[in-house]
Amino acid sequence: MKWREKGTKTWVVLWGILPLFLFIGFTAGVVWSKDNSMCLGCHQDESLSKQDASGRKLSLFVPETEFKSSVHGKLSCSDCHTKVRDDAHAEGGKKAADKKVDCAACHAKADKEYQQGLHSKMIMKGMERAAYCDDCHGKHNIVPSKNPKSMTHPSNIEKTCNRCHSDVQFVKKHALGASIPGDLFKGSVHGKTGEVTCTSCHGSHNLRSLIDPKSTIFRSNIPQTCGACHPDITKQFVESVHGLLAARGREDSPTCTTCHGIHGIKAKIDPDSPVNERRIAMTTCPQCHAAERISKEYGITKEQVKSYYASFHGLSYRGGDTYSANCASCHGVHDIRSSSDSQSMIHKDNLQKTCGSCHPGASENFAKGKIHVVASIGGEDFGEKVVGWVRIVYIVLIVMVIGGLTLFNFTDWLRKTIEKRPS
Amino acid sequence: MTKKYLRMTLNERFQHVNLFINFTLLVITGFALKYPEAFWVSPITDVPLGMTFRGFLHRLCGVLTLTLGGYHILYCAFTERGRQILKDMIPGLKDAKDLWETLKNNLFINRPAKEIKMGRFNFREKLEYLGLIWGTIVMTVTGFILWFKTEWLLYFPMWTYDVARAIHFYEAILATLTIIVWHFYSVVFNPDIYPMNWAWITGNLTEHEMKEEHGLELEKIKAGEKGKLVEFGEAAAVGGGRVYTIPREKVEKEGEKGSPLRRLYGIVQSFNETIKNWKGV
Repeated sequence: MKWREKGTKTWVVLWGILPLFLFIGFTAGVVWSKDNSMCLGCHQDESLSKQDASGRKLSLFVPETEFKSSVHGKLSCSDCHTKVRDDAHAEGGKKAADKKVDCAACHAKADKEYQQGLHSKMIMKGMERAAYCDDCHGKHNIVPSKNPKSMTHPSNIEKTCNRCHSDVQFVKKHALGASIPGDLFKGSVHGKTGEVTCTSCHGSHNLRSLIDPKSTIFRSNIPQTCGACHPDITKQFVESVHGLLAARGREDSPTCTTCHGIHGIKAKIDPDSPVNERRIAMTTCPQCHAAERISKEYGITKEQVKSYYASFHGLSYRGGDTYSANCASCHGVHDIRSSSDSQSMIHKDNLQKTCGSCHPGASENFAKGKIHVVASIGGEDFGEKVVGWVRIVYIVLIVMVIGGLTLFNFTDWLRKTIEKRPS
Repeated sequence: MTKKYLRMTLNERFQHVNLFINFTLLVITGFALKYPEAFWVSPITDVPLGMTFRGFLHRLCGVLTLTLGGYHILYCAFTERGRQILKDMIPGLKDAKDLWETLKNNLFINRPAKEIKMGRFNFREKLEYLGLIWGTIVMTVTGFILWFKTEWLLYFPMWTYDVARAIHFYEAILATLTIIVWHFYSVVFNPDIYPMNWAWITGNLTEHEMKEEHGLELEKIKAGEKGKLVEFGEAAAVGGGRVYTIPREKVEKEGEKGSPLRRLYGIVQSFNETIKNWKGV
């Protein structure tokens, strides 16, 4: 309801015009009266109902006390229910003549935003359960969103959205994924703060679809969306190699959610978090850097992950050692840059410093030679070739020596067993 | 009473047990790093700081093995017995011949099998001893490079570290497999020896074992003993530390009872002898 603060003038003007409407209404007759007692005379009956177009029972009960204490409490029924035809009501309510209440008459700005949003588009497509104003704001009981009782108060938004989005049938029907976002969110680090809620990321009236380029949750907009609260990190990220590629619309390039998760984002120290130090090098980075689809497209090899796993760092890490370097220890976290970038932690001028952060006194030899290499005799470096040859020589040696010893002992065993055979 | 031949002194047995423990721990803690997902590594990886402790233990055992190696060098240099061990350990042409003849025996080329008389250390043992020396040197050098990489890389390029790493790993495989295939066969699975050569605990070999594995040495000892009926105490001095016979019955001097443990051992021993020599009522 920010528009109220911004557009104070509109508000004043609206309120200014209102008496005029009221005056017209008053003069128009009894039904158009400012006094709601006429309407409530019937609509106070809790059993009052009608059949809607699809034959379902629709309650026509209006709780008067709730309405009086609502933000619209001072309005007349007919201010909103403009299309109620008096003749229909005069005949005893047999004819359903009212059209949906048009909030836009007063809340033009919100309506404009809403019209661009996903929910309105779904309504236009004829979807039954797409949210209209009253689905989120309530009907006769609307209170300002600052009121903790309001459906749109930050503490209640989750509940409001979950009325549809935690409904398994609804989620399935609209192909919104197999899991319930609300459940995931509840256990997330954001959910636990109590300050961040659905609308913080998705927007409210202008909530848009995932595939809408203007959406806050559109791929390349995600860093900005998260940056609303995490500006420093977004600043680092947009300059990183991942951020640059993501900004250019590369689908494979990660954004915040690729590594951190979406609704169920967990704190780094949580072992379930994909960015937990125990998981970074096991699942989070390899999900792309060990994936053939991506390695082929970007000319990166799977060797980096493979060679890391075979290195001391990787081996110790795989065994649960958290002191051992993982991907992020050398490459950085949000500010990962290409090795050709002079600001990169793995640029050849910075390597000595990067190694030195764990190996105090690291000499410049640390920075020389390749790191992510699966050594073979066909390698480019001299060292690679030497390691490759050492490997081959040793394997031959092992096979010959151990094979020879085994064979010798086997014959020895065979003869002695045969000789000891009871005759 | 069967005659016993001293194979390993208490000192040597301690050296062996020391090496045995250190080597086993080195093998476990070393391969636990290389194969961190193996089922037998879970006791290390499941424990917090397990991998850190593993590394510490590996280096500790490495240092202990090296210390043992240093001790062994001193032992071989400064004791009469040690020097003799070294002399007897030198491989010669006879060892090659022995190996060849054994192979011919094993393949039933020699029919009937030729009796091979081998020296104090036969070709099996010499091979293993040399292998142990080689392995210890290689593992120590590469191990220290890996341990003190920062210092090493002050003077040497990065690829030398990678080479050291590769050698350390493959030499470990070679050493471990050699122990399993060669040593375990020699002292456990050899049908002549099975279930075990107890010399690493008792220190002694039986005459039968001596005859099988060290026939030449046995003949030498017997020749040396011929016509020399001396007390064992004297014999030790004459033989220059190469005496294999050990006194079974300690001559107890009056007033000297020995330690309670030794007395208990004596009781058990005499009990055993009595049962063995029992001819029936």
